[in-house]
Amino acid sequence: MATQQSDGGVRFSVAHDLQQYRLLELPAELLELIDAANPPLLSIKSAAPGAPSAKPAYAVLCTPNKTYQLRQVQTSNSLFVAQPVLEAHGNEEIPAPTTRAVASCTATLELHPADTPPDAFLEEVLPVYDIVDKEVDATGNGKSKAVVLADIPLSEGQCEQAWKELMAFEFAGSSYRPSANTLVQVWKSIHDAALAEGIKLDQQFLTDTLLSALDDEGYPPSLIVAVLTGLATAEQDPAGSWSCLDRSRAVHFVGTTLLEAKRGGADYLTAEFLDTWREHVPDAWQRDAELAAIEGLYELPTSTTVAIRGGIASTTKTAAATAKPGSSSSRKWHEKFGRARQR
Amino acid sequence: MPSIPLHVNKLSPASISATASSNPLPPLLHTPSGLGLLELQGTIHFPTVPTSTSSTAPANTSLQLDASTLVGKLVFPLYNPELRGEDDTSWMKRVYMYVGENQRLTGECKKLGKPFGLMQRKERGREDVQMGGIEEEGSGEEELEIVEVVRYKIVFSSRPEPVGGEVQS
Repeated sequence: MATQQSDGGVRFSVAHDLQQYRLLELPAELLELIDAANPPLLSIKSAAPGAPSAKPAYAVLCTPNKTYQLRQVQTSNSLFVAQPVLEAHGNEEIPAPTTRAVASCTATLELHPADTPPDAFLEEVLPVYDIVDKEVDATGNGKSKAVVLADIPLSEGQCEQAWKELMAFEFAGSSYRPSANTLVQVWKSIHDAALAEGIKLDQQFLTDTLLSALDDEGYPPSLIVAVLTGLATAEQDPAGSWSCLDRSRAVHFVGTTLLEAKRGGADYLTAEFLDTWREHVPDAWQRDAELAAIEGLYELPTSTTVAIRGGIASTTKTAAATAKPGSSSSRKWHEKFGRARQR
Repeated sequence: MPSIPLHVNKLSPASISATASSNPLPPLLHTPSGLGLLELQGTIHFPTVPTSTSSTAPANTSLQLDASTLVGKLVFPLYNPELRGEDDTSWMKRVYMYVGENQRLTGECKKLGKPFGLMQRKERGREDVQMGGIEEEGSGEEELEIVEVVRYKIVFSSRPEPVGGEVQS
């Protein structure tokens, strides 16, 4: 032992000029990404300062499609980052292998998967684009999509997905999300135009043909494209000049959007709803327009009426599956109060 | 807030062998860059180093940066690859740090439940060499990089105990 103390062992020194290192606690998933041969570019984002968000703004770490909240954890211990060097001390001539502390960390960063649904952030910041009696009711935010998404503390993949699901669009220098009411009108116009032009929506068609047919309606073309992209089949290239809608997704979208547009309104008869729904889809799709297609997204307040259940006008089943239980229940209460008052 | 790019700039595991010769720690603790973690309860106090920045010429700054204080020695009393083989990990249970002549800290080597990524501000000069001269012009923006993933640390969680000049066996 004595020899080990004097001869063996590894010399340990502390550098005078300590460097700055931050320690990131890596969850298994992230570790896998970082250990890969070609690790993707990660990024650190945070919500815009002063954002009207109820939650305190965390910085987040984003992979291409996942988001982790960063939480700083203080440690009372001295945590050194050490590096092997060759050092000579005192009057020594020959430098000896030494482990040198080159940084001292007082805190580590924990990573927690962020669980806030992506669309909630976008809903909060995007102004609603509403069309009432052919009059546009919308106040622009003067921000491009890129500017808006830069302030969303989420990964790019999640931002894009939420943007697509909300059918958000850029128009005249601002970004908007359409109201359910607007979406119903746009969809109706698309449906009518497709009928008139003989376009089969669930087969490949030129986006421009439909756009020019809708020219007179006065919708921002970007809004129509947003709807078409939001309902496109998974393999459809969103950048291409062709469109092709996913039939079940479109039927689902029409049903939920019709209900969403009636949210908080007068009683909606189930039979009337089903009729309208079928009217709004191509003949070939009509047999799909059943309540079963929007399972879990509606409720039947009475035996003859129907209403939207909480959650947004989801266009995809994945969004429906992850619909936030918190806000849905609160909205339900809101509706219940509304109905109680009407009686 | 614009997002800050966070690069992953680790050396490949193959370069472990390159640094191994200069890394005196047991191979299990080696990382491609040589960086490792050492944790101890409390702080190390040592006399303040006279700063001679005013009189130091710029040429000397590299020497200045290299300055360090020798604190003590790390001893791995159970580490004996010749006797127990390279794969043996029982030595991890005991690590000593001798501080000066008369104090000893007892600790151990621990595998981290969640490995730590070492993150630092990106050094631009190094990037140019490594990435084959991809120019990022005029951006004074901050960029970060993860330079290493550390899976083990040496922890000294107990108080230092006095040891005599002659160490008991």
